[in-house]
Amino acid sequence: MSKKPAKGEYIETDTGNKVSRKCQIIGTTNIILGGKTVIQAEVIIRGDLLRSVPSSSSSINPSPNDKQQSAVAVAIGRYCFFSRGCALRPPGRSTKGVFSHYPLKISDHVFVGPGSVIEAAILGSHVHIGAGVVVGKFAIIKDYVKVLDGAIIPANMVIPSFSIVGGRPARIVGEIAEGEVDGFDLRDLWRSIGNN
Amino acid sequence: MTSFTPYTYFQCPCTENSTSSRTFGEDLPSPTSDTSEDDRTFDPRAPRAAYSLHPLEHLLYCEDCHQIRCHRCVLDEIVTWYCPNCLFEVPSSSVKSEGNRCTRSCFQCPVCTASLSVSSVALAQTGLGADISAQAGPYVLNCTYCQWSSKEIGIQLEKPNGIYAQLSKVKNGGEPYISAKDRRREDRRDISESPKGPGPNETLDADSQFENLKSFYQSQLADSAPSGGMGFMGGYGYGSPGALSRIMGLYTGSSFGDKKRESKNGNMREVCDSSEGLQLTSTKDDQCAITRIQRVGWEGTASTAQQKEQAQSVRFMDDLRPFSHLLRTKRSKRCRACRHILSKPESKVQNTRFRIRLVARNYIPAITIQPLQQAPTSLLTPMKPVQFVLTVKNPLFESVRVNIATPASTPGRFASKVTVLCPQFEIGASTDMFDEALREGGKEKRRTKAEASEGQLQAEAGKIWERGRNWVSVVVEIVPASLRTDGPEFMKSQQIQKDDGPLREDEDVLEIPVFVRVEWETDAAHEESGGLAAGNKEKELKEKRELAYWCVIGVGRIAQD
Ligand SMILES: [Zn+2]
Ligand SMILES: [Zn+2]
Ligand SMILES: [Zn+2]
Ligand SMILES: [Zn+2]
Repeated sequence: MSKKPAKGEYIETDTGNKVSRKCQIIGTTNIILGGKTVIQAEVIIRGDLLRSVPSSSSSINPSPNDKQQSAVAVAIGRYCFFSRGCALRPPGRSTKGVFSHYPLKISDHVFVGPGSVIEAAILGSHVHIGAGVVVGKFAIIKDYVKVLDGAIIPANMVIPSFSIVGGRPARIVGEIAEGEVDGFDLRDLWRSIGNN
Repeated sequence: MTSFTPYTYFQCPCTENSTSSRTFGEDLPSPTSDTSEDDRTFDPRAPRAAYSLHPLEHLLYCEDCHQIRCHRCVLDEIVTWYCPNCLFEVPSSSVKSEGNRCTRSCFQCPVCTASLSVSSVALAQTGLGADISAQAGPYVLNCTYCQWSSKEIGIQLEKPNGIYAQLSKVKNGGEPYISAKDRRREDRRDISESPKGPGPNETLDADSQFENLKSFYQSQLADSAPSGGMGFMGGYGYGSPGALSRIMGLYTGSSFGDKKRESKNGNMREVCDSSEGLQLTSTKDDQCAITRIQRVGWEGTASTAQQKEQAQSVRFMDDLRPFSHLLRTKRSKRCRACRHILSKPESKVQNTRFRIRLVARNYIPAITIQPLQQAPTSLLTPMKPVQFVLTVKNPLFESVRVNIATPASTPGRFASKVTVLCPQFEIGASTDMFDEALREGGKEKRRTKAEASEGQLQAEAGKIWERGRNWVSVVVEIVPASLRTDGPEFMKSQQIQKDDGPLREDEDVLEIPVFVRVEWETDAAHEESGGLAAGNKEKELKEKRELAYWCVIGVGRIAQD
């Protein structure tokens, strides 16, 4: 490691991703980035936590695409923003005594605040997760949800659309108003991030 | 101290015609001093103001009334009921019959409210959503957050699905629960078999007691009400003479009621045994509770929050029961004044689109404020003039004239001085999103902070600070007030002379009331394109529109010197 990066902080990819040189992405081949996503410094993405149990043996009916699907540990959509020090970990559990991880799917326009840990199964689109949040294993967060700072979302929790959740354990504390819906768009935020 | 984010709250006009409000410690406003509504400066610190101020995002706009609408002046209509946990839609007919909770398998932890998951007892240790279908029972409900288990209240289930039905048949401890109906049926059989019966002082659970009471009083009302008379049999039966005379008795003293009762409805009586829902309390119950507290200790008692979630009054942890999720709703909103729909979501639970969504931010200019020069601290220095940039952004497709008025000094004990350098200006029309996307490349050049601090471009009175396609910013000069209440008498304002108490909560926040008047011209035909004005040939006819409202801008906190 050089003392000071000569170039800017972010590596900009062809698809418009802005990835900090100081982030930790493990198992890059198992991670899909939809494009125009910002990954800040000290972010950890665990692409290495791959599904070890073939999905054909589980209750889900097998399909020819299985091999391709099972090679994805973390799938991220467009215009997502991962703030400094947050961690994305595919969730894991034992089934019949065999432990396996399962994919973590993140849709578009998802903001994850600094220091938050995400072990969800699905984060819908237009989700705002505050700072220092823990999203427990296999949680499902639907579209247009705001998670307040410091919330702990228990494992397996389902959060319906247009919810504001907070607290430990997290519970629904409010509703997203009609006029707040547009505020979840992260295109401006993506534009504002750069090397200069 | 946490950092301060400047804010703008808009006043909904639905509170305008309310009576004048008063601030803390003020005497009742005398009716003579109440001047015309229009002349009064809106005081954001008035206790009433908190109910009328909203962030722009929370407001709707009625196109027919041409007015802002807040949650207090809209009518909610339920479109869909659904369970927030399983996301299944519940038809409103079953909400009526089954109640407003999920009747599938969605339960919450009675200790911490997190969702409970089902797991087999055999594999309870591995917990966490283990593949339940492949394992054999019995099953328990587990909390993934606080590790509570239904084993703690002695409940185990035979099947991993249909939890609601299974739970309703079992009491804490595993005893089967007999519903009130079954109980009554059994009671009758008992009476016919043995003359003693279950005894008049049998203890009932809350559900059975309510059921017994209800059926008893319903039969009483039915008996006492004459078949003709006031002809009101259903519901609560307030029309029956029995109920009426009882109510009259309450107001006129017992003698009236007694006389009437004796003469007119001797058949109306109160419950007298457990089959009718009577439960006698005795000191023995209290004694039981006390010994139980002594045994289980503080940890064994339920907190108020935990008690509140329970359907029945419960004091001990052993008596807590898992409770099913409350249903949530998707609602459409109507204008209270003209009944037009302002917001209507798609009825499907998982669909997040709206059929109609008239939000205020698409109709009224957004107002933001930020300091002109980055200050070293977030606090405002008393008596030191600071300049702020007030930006007004036009969401309309027509250009608008904006008039901004502020009082010379802010209301309240600590009057800061406020001057808007350019209170009147015109803002260009907004273009649609497609245009905006095309423009993305060529960014509008903005004045940088460096340029501003160089003093080359000093803020001038009567001149706009900066202008964009659909926004204008003007400079506001503020002299924050001193928060001191001591010092020589002649230095004090009248307000402080009257009240020199200590600083109240958030009294150090500098809030500026701003009266905004927006005027624009719109195509009358374009406005009603779908319907009535189709035959209107005077397309050139422009319609004048005006919208005026109060808003409050929170600028920052004043430092205490
Ligand atoms: Zn209102
Ligand atoms: Zn449910
Ligand atoms: Zn719990
Ligand atoms: Zn209306």
